Parts: sequence; structure tokens; C-alpha cells
Amino acid sequence: MRSTSNTIWAVFGLALILLLPAFAGGQWVKIFTSTTTFAMAAAGAGFLYTRLGMVSLVQVGLMGVGGWVTLRLNHAFNFPFEINLMVAGAVTMFLGNLIALPALRMRGLYLALITLMFAAGLDIVFTAKQFPNGADGFWGVGTTFAAEMRRPIFAQSDAAYLRYTMLWLVIGFVLIELHRRMAPGRAWALIRKSEAAALASGVNVTLYKTWAFGLSGLLAGLGGGLLAGSLGLLDAATFRASESVMLFALVIVGGARFWYGAVISAVLFRVVPGLLNNWGVDADLSLVIFGAALLHAVMSAPDGLAGQINGAVRALFSGRKSPENKGAKA
Amino acid sequence: MWHVLRTAALCVAACAGVALWFGAGKPAMVQGMFIVSGLAVGSLYALGGIGLVVLYRATGVLNLSAGAIGMASVMAAWQLVQWGLFGPVAWVGGLAIGVALALFYGRVIAPQMAWREPVVKAVASLGYAIAILGVVSFLFPDEPRKFSLPTDSMAVMILGLRVTVTRLLVVLAAIVLVVGITISLNTTRVGLQMRALANNRSLSSLIGIPILRVETLAWGLSGLLFGFTGLMFGDLVRLEPSVITFMVIPCIAAAICGRLQSLPDVLMGGLAIGVIESLLTFSDTFKQVRPIAPFVIAALVLLAMNRGRRLTFAGDD
Amino acid sequence: MNKTLKTAGTALGLMFVAGAAFADPICGANTGEAATGAPIKVGGIHGNAAPGDFSASTTAAEAYFDCVNANGGINGRPIEYLVENDQWNPELAAQAASKLLVDEDVVAMVGNGSFVEMSVNAGLYKEQNVMTMASACAASECFESSNIVSTNQGPLPSSIGAAMYMVEEKGSQNVSCIALTIPNSGPWSCGAVVGYMESKGLSGSGVYLNPASPDVNSGLLEAVASGADTILVNLPAGLAIAILKAAEEQGLGDAYQWASSTPLYDRDAPAALGAYWDGKLFVNTEMTPWDKGGEDSQNWLAVMDAYADPKDPRDSFSQAGFLAAQIFVDTLMDMDPADLDDRAKVTEAITAITGYESDLVCGPFYVGEADRHMPNHAGTMVVVKDGGFETVRDCYEYDSPYFAPIFAQEEALGLR
Repeated sequence: MRSTSNTIWAVFGLALILLLPAFAGGQWVKIFTSTTTFAMAAAGAGFLYTRLGMVSLVQVGLMGVGGWVTLRLNHAFNFPFEINLMVAGAVTMFLGNLIALPALRMRGLYLALITLMFAAGLDIVFTAKQFPNGADGFWGVGTTFAAEMRRPIFAQSDAAYLRYTMLWLVIGFVLIELHRRMAPGRAWALIRKSEAAALASGVNVTLYKTWAFGLSGLLAGLGGGLLAGSLGLLDAATFRASESVMLFALVIVGGARFWYGAVISAVLFRVVPGLLNNWGVDADLSLVIFGAALLHAVMSAPDGLAGQINGAVRALFSGRKSPENKGAKA
Repeated sequence: MWHVLRTAALCVAACAGVALWFGAGKPAMVQGMFIVSGLAVGSLYALGGIGLVVLYRATGVLNLSAGAIGMASVMAAWQLVQWGLFGPVAWVGGLAIGVALALFYGRVIAPQMAWREPVVKAVASLGYAIAILGVVSFLFPDEPRKFSLPTDSMAVMILGLRVTVTRLLVVLAAIVLVVGITISLNTTRVGLQMRALANNRSLSSLIGIPILRVETLAWGLSGLLFGFTGLMFGDLVRLEPSVITFMVIPCIAAAICGRLQSLPDVLMGGLAIGVIESLLTFSDTFKQVRPIAPFVIAALVLLAMNRGRRLTFAGDD
Repeated sequence: MNKTLKTAGTALGLMFVAGAAFADPICGANTGEAATGAPIKVGGIHGNAAPGDFSASTTAAEAYFDCVNANGGINGRPIEYLVENDQWNPELAAQAASKLLVDEDVVAMVGNGSFVEMSVNAGLYKEQNVMTMASACAASECFESSNIVSTNQGPLPSSIGAAMYMVEEKGSQNVSCIALTIPNSGPWSCGAVVGYMESKGLSGSGVYLNPASPDVNSGLLEAVASGADTILVNLPAGLAIAILKAAEEQGLGDAYQWASSTPLYDRDAPAALGAYWDGKLFVNTEMTPWDKGGEDSQNWLAVMDAYADPKDPRDSFSQAGFLAAQIFVDTLMDMDPADLDDRAKVTEAITAITGYESDLVCGPFYVGEADRHMPNHAGTMVVVKDGGFETVRDCYEYDSPYFAPIFAQEEALGLR
């Protein structure tokens, strides 16, 4: 049963990677690329929330850091895109670890609030300093238009770049899945059940909590770097603290227990506003629709939209046979 | 009392430290100007923080739509003044909108997500905030507006700075509110019930505390506080819907300074944040990122709160 | 209309404004017959979401295009004007440009108004070889890139213009320029003001506010502490009013001289500022004042009355959008009809525009081959008076070291 559904997902994912960039127009290729990068950040926040019950309200802020580092390196040195991206991921992973240090001593709301304070601080710095666009100096912000952003050699066009980003998202999902199946996953499961028990059975709670935050930061940083590669330059408006809160809210709505919940969250975050805009809905009224839908989803869907999809899919495949004890995939 | 004095000493020391560090060599008069200016903004943070804490203690909801509710209040009041209504009537009308919006959320929306954990409840309230922001931006097209109170034109001289009565009023209001709410929490029956709810919700309901009534009261009171804060933001900061809506984040920083619990600490923390933010203007390095002050201070407070604790064990949050 | 009449001031102004209300719009070939041929696709991007609304520019351009389409179009072909909203979101801005340039294959962009879109898309416009005739620009990229040319001035020339007036007519010695800390807006424009002051042997300084800061008063105090005698407010209208309100509270209105760049030239600003600033605040306007009269100004109002909603703003951005659309249509009309669907040919024709005179701006409009375009660098100075504005210095050209390369271009084009 599990392998069937895995195969189906793999085929579906592969088809999406091959077909979506080929058939989407210029605007939608851009929208789907953004969506994919935000899905990476959402996957990080979602896994942190379901595996450890920890809330990160700084994911979008960390994406900004990842994007900043990628742009900075791109304009300062002649490294290939991947190197810049990896360094960006390493920096945000380190930042994630740093944020985790106070997190070790805090729970629930307080932990969420300290990450929110980080996000708000980053917001202010981004607004004041903006993102490097090829000018001189450490901050590298000039007044003429941006210097070229080098993309990977085999992903120069927008469509190829969308495929490339989707591959990174798959790598991100695989990374999470590997963690889940190996030692860290077992340690996290134990910590989630009881920290006292984890400590008693010799699990290094500090290490694994820090590790989890680092992984989540890494995913956000890669997402931010990929977004920078897509747009060529970034703006502080993308990385407001309220956007970080909004992404987490959508992680809940999308359904954090399932890996495709992250995709749904990102679709809600980027595709839905794009659709509303395309349909000519007033920007202010889309906010109202968005806010109301968010409230409604939090009120009515315990496992998010992914939970509802999962229920429907399982009912379909198992002929409505004992849908509750199969265990969620993720 | 001892505790309050300790916090006060800490706040004064922090402000003095920043003043000496960055403002060294500046005339006392100039320093005074920045301190007085910072106190007004600080008391705005504190006012917002007080509303957040009162509501959080009684209902367990950290309301991220506080800014949006205040914003709707001041926009409504501005509109009523434009329609030619007598000032006080317009202000009361604005406050009524704030109370109504808070009550609507508290009675209609919040109960349906009572089963969610506190973080999710907090995050979901952002949905309400952007819905309100959307409605207000739709109704009021972007144009320059100004919200004034008659107290804006009355002033006294303090430390060489002409300080309007409105600025004094916010500082005073914040102090009076903290004292008043603290006293009524400690002496009235409803106050007792609120404190019981804050301590343990399930036990409170078991011993027959009318939770619904107490919560409604808390939502209404918080709506009034958010509304008042919104009016003051509109007057002292600027009348722009999106700006006031997201002012809730520094207000949360002030609330954190009181550990989401102690009103006097929220007040003093908020004032200290305002003063430090203002004094950072002296520093060439930091003046462009001055608004970061609330977040750095709140993060430090959170760290200090948990110092000595190595690990957390499953608790009641 | 009442408000306009009040501010007109002179009998001449009254005549022009009254005349404008009755004049018939004049557009394109002015045949009176609707265009029916295959449409020519033209794009436009504005920003309109919670913090601000720049849509007046595309609204006016659209009104003019509608009027042209109802009057014979471009040799019988109507213009299909596709407008997108970037909602101040850089991603949406990139998506909108992608949609218009790649999916819709527009021949040109006209009437763009945003402070996000140009920074994001300047590179794409060059790569796609399309010209953008913007009209509500606020960021440096809009004026320092090869494929964007704007009919409006933006914060830099306007601030220099305001400083220049204060120095030449009010004897200012030391100007403090308050702006946002965003690098391609505040430090860029106020930096040029400081450069202007220093080139005159005077002193200037920049005070930069973080837009997230609620505490505008500290910024004001910083400007005061800089030892300036003149404070130049170079901020979006909402923030500018907050600064001036704080100054009013502290009674600084008479202790300093006050000037502002163009955002405060707004119909609602005098009422929002209140009587305190009457006669005290000098504002630079990037387009000619709304009520100045003149052929194009009258036509602008007539077109707006006939083809736009009565509630749509009739402000500077509207003038700039109208002008961009008018210049664009005149350029297309002069082209070989066979080339109208060829983006490269249209770009070439726009680049060749030179010496286009209009009474909506003070100087001639031109484009030319260059890596920067700032044709509009002459303006008018007004003072806040009796709930409106009164002109204190008509059309004057600004002078600053910043304009040196632009003056050189104009000499090469024979405009100087």
C-alpha cells in the first residue's frame, strides 16, 4: 500500500517537473518558481512543527538572509550558482542553530515569539540595507539597475530554472524523509513524546533540537537563494515579518503532517494571490478573501487541506477500508 | 512592590546606559529632547502591550489583529470627524468600532478554534488582521490624512522641548490604566475570576466561574484598549492603515517585556524601548535601524527570563 | 471643480479651467470614428495596494488610449492597453512584466507607475529590447537605466529643485533633507541635494528614516540638531505630513524654513496640513500645476472627463500618464504602419523622440540612446495657501552637478 502510493507520488512529481514548465506561460513560470522556493521554506517550518512541536516564525526572514548571501556572493565573486546557494544554505543553517539556542529553553508561544522577534529585526535591517545589486562595498547597493545574476549553466531560461528549482525541492523533501527514517528522526520522536524520557534514554536533546532548527534554516536559505536566482534581485517587501507569520499560518492550513502540505501552503501563498490578481479581483479585496479563508481553514481542518486530501485518496485506494490506522505517510 | 522597583531600576539603568554610550558629549538639553520624544512612542508600545496582556491572561489568545482593530477605530473616528460630527462623539464612535471588532472575534471566531494550541490561535488572528486591513484599504483610497485631537495644540515646556498635552496624555493614560487594571484585578470579583482563568482554565470552569462572561468582558476591554491605542497612534504616529496594523509587532515586544503577564513590567518595558529607540538616533551606526530596538530588547528579556533553565519539560503551554 | 477654481487665483486661470470643462477632447487623428483594425498591444504596470496607490498614471494613459481608439486609432488600428498591478510586491512585478512582454508580446510599456516595478524589471526591459515610457517613477533605477524614460521627475530632481528655490530666493545656507533610508530612494535623492549645496559652497545633510519607524519625531529632532536653517521634507505624503505635524506641535514652523519635494503637491495635502502651514511650506511640483491652463492641460482634463471615472484622481501622476500616452501615440502615428507590430521598430521610434514640447511639463521631452534618461528636470515652485497652492516661481530649470551627463546628452541632441 505504502509503496503504491509512493510510486504514484513519484510519477506524479516527475510528470509535474517535466510538464509544468513546458506548458506554463512566462508569468506562470515565474509564479511557479516562487511557489517552489516558498515550498522549501514551508517544508522546513512544517517538519519542525510536526516532528518537534516547535514553531518558527522566521522562515521567510531566513529566506531573505539566504537570498542576501546568494546575491552578495554572486556579485562579489565568480563562483558558480550552486556554490553561492550552498554557502547561503550553510549561513542560514548556522543562523537556525543560533536561534535554536534560546529555543532549547523555551516552549510553545514563547519560542514562537522569539523567532518572531528575529523576523521583525531582519525585516528592519532588510528595509534599511536592501539587497546587493552589484554595486561596490559590503552592502553592495547601487542606484542603477542590477548587475547580472548568474544562473546554473543548464538552467538559463525561466522554464529550465523552474525545473531546476523543483529538483531542489525534491532534494529538500528527500533530506527531510531521510532524517525522519534515521537516528535524528527517532530522537525527535522521543523528544516530542517526552524530553525527560529522551534525556533518560541517552538522547542528546540539545544536539537534536539544534539540528532540527538548522535543517529548517537550511531549507529556508536554499529557498531564498533560489528565489534570488529567479528574480535576479530581491526587495525587502518580500521578507516582512508578517510574511513569515503568514507562511506559518499557511503551513497549518496546508497540513504540516504531510509532505505535500508544504506544496499546498506555498500554492496558497503564491499561486492563489496570482490567480486572484489575474481574475482582476481588487488587491484589497483579495486580502479580505485570504484572511477569511485562513480563519475558516484554521477553524475547520485539523490536519489542514493535506489531511483532507490524504483522507480522500486513501478512501479511494483502500476501498474505504479502515482509513484511520494506516498512519500518515510523513 | 519590590519586584516593580527592581524592574524600574533596570529600565532606568538601561536607558541611562544607552544615553551615556551613544549620547556622550551631547548637551543634556538635546538628550532630554530625545528622551521626552521617546517616552511618547514608548507609551504607545506600552498601551498596545497592555491590551495584549489583559486579553492573553484572560483568554489565552495573543491577538495579532490588535493593530488592525486599533487602525479601524482611528479610521472610523477620522471619517466621523470628516462627516462633521462633534469630536468626542466621533472618538467614542471609533472606540465603539474597536470594541465591536474585538467582540466579534472573541464571540464568533475565537470559540471555534478553542481546541487549537496558543501559537496557532495567535497566528490565525493574523487572518483577521489582514481581512480588516483589506476592508479598510478598500473603503479608504490612498490619500494623505491627518487625525488630530484638540490637545495637540495645547502644550507645556519640558526640558526645553515643547510637549503637547496629547503626548502627556498617552504617558498618563498608560500609567493610569496599569494601576487601575491591576487594582481591579486584585479587588473586584471579575478581576478574581480573570486571574483564576489565567492560572488554570479547566479548573476555573470546574469551580463554576462563568467563563463566557469573563471572556466577553476581556475581549470588550481589550477592544477598547486597542481602539484607544489606535486613536493615539493615528494622532502621534501617522494615519496610514498598513503602518498602524503592523505596529502590533513592536507592541508584542513590549508585552514580552512583561512576560505576557505583568502589567507594570509591560509599561516600564514599553517606555524603556521607546526611549532607547529614540536615543539610538545619536549613533551613526544604528540610527537607520533604530526600530530594531523593541525586538532586540524583547529577545534579551526572553533570554534572561529563561536563564539557568537548561531544558524544558512538557508543561502546560 | 470648486477647489480648482479657488486655487486658480487669476482671471486667466479661471478662463482656462472653465474652458477645459466644456472643451471636446482631441486625441490622435481625431476622426470621431472608432478604430476597428487589429489591435496594437501596449502594456502598463502600476502599484496599488495597502501602502499607496500609483494607479493614476495608467488610468490617465488608458483614458487617452480609449479616446484615441474612439477617434480613428493608429491608422485605423486600436490600442489594446493591458494594465497589471504589482501591489508593491517585487515578485508580482516580475510576473507582470513576464506576462506582458513574454506572453502578450506588447510592443511597448506606457504609463508605468511604481517604486518597485522599475527596480525589478529594468534589466528585463533591456534584455527584451522594449522601451518603457513610465510616468510615476520614484526609484533611481527608473532614471539611470537604458530602456526606461519617465515623464515625471521623481524625488531627485524635485528635491534639488526645492533646495535650489530655497537657496536662491529664501537665502538658505544649510539644508537638512529628510527621506526614507531605502538606498535607491532616500540616500540617492538627498545625497544629490547635499551635492548641490556643496557645489554652491553651502552645507547640507541627509536624515534617513526607516519606514517601519513609528517615531518620526526623532528624525525631525535629528534634522534640527544638524544645525540646518531649512528643512526639506522628501518623503511620501503620509510620512511628510507626520513630520510636519510633529514640527507644528513643537512650534518649529517659524524657527526654520520648510520645503518639500513633489509628493505633497496633492489636492488633499493642504487640508490635511491645516492652517498652520499656510504660507510657510514651499512645495516643488514635477509637472505644471493642475490649473495652469494651456492646450495639453485642457485636453488632459477634457479626456479625463470624457473617458475616466469622475472619481479618478486628476493629479500629477495623472498628468504624467496622460503625457506619456500622448507622446507615445504621436510617435506611433509618425511610424510606417507596417512596422507597428515590430517591437524593435517601435523601440527605435521611441528612442528617436526629441524636443517634444508640451505645456504639461516645463522642458522638452526627449529620449535618445543613453544609459540614463531624465528629460524632466525643470519644475515649478508653489506655496501652501488658503487650503490650496499658489505658484511662487514658474518653470525653472534645476542646476546641480548630478545633471552634468544629462546636459551633455541634451547638447548632443541639439536641445541646449
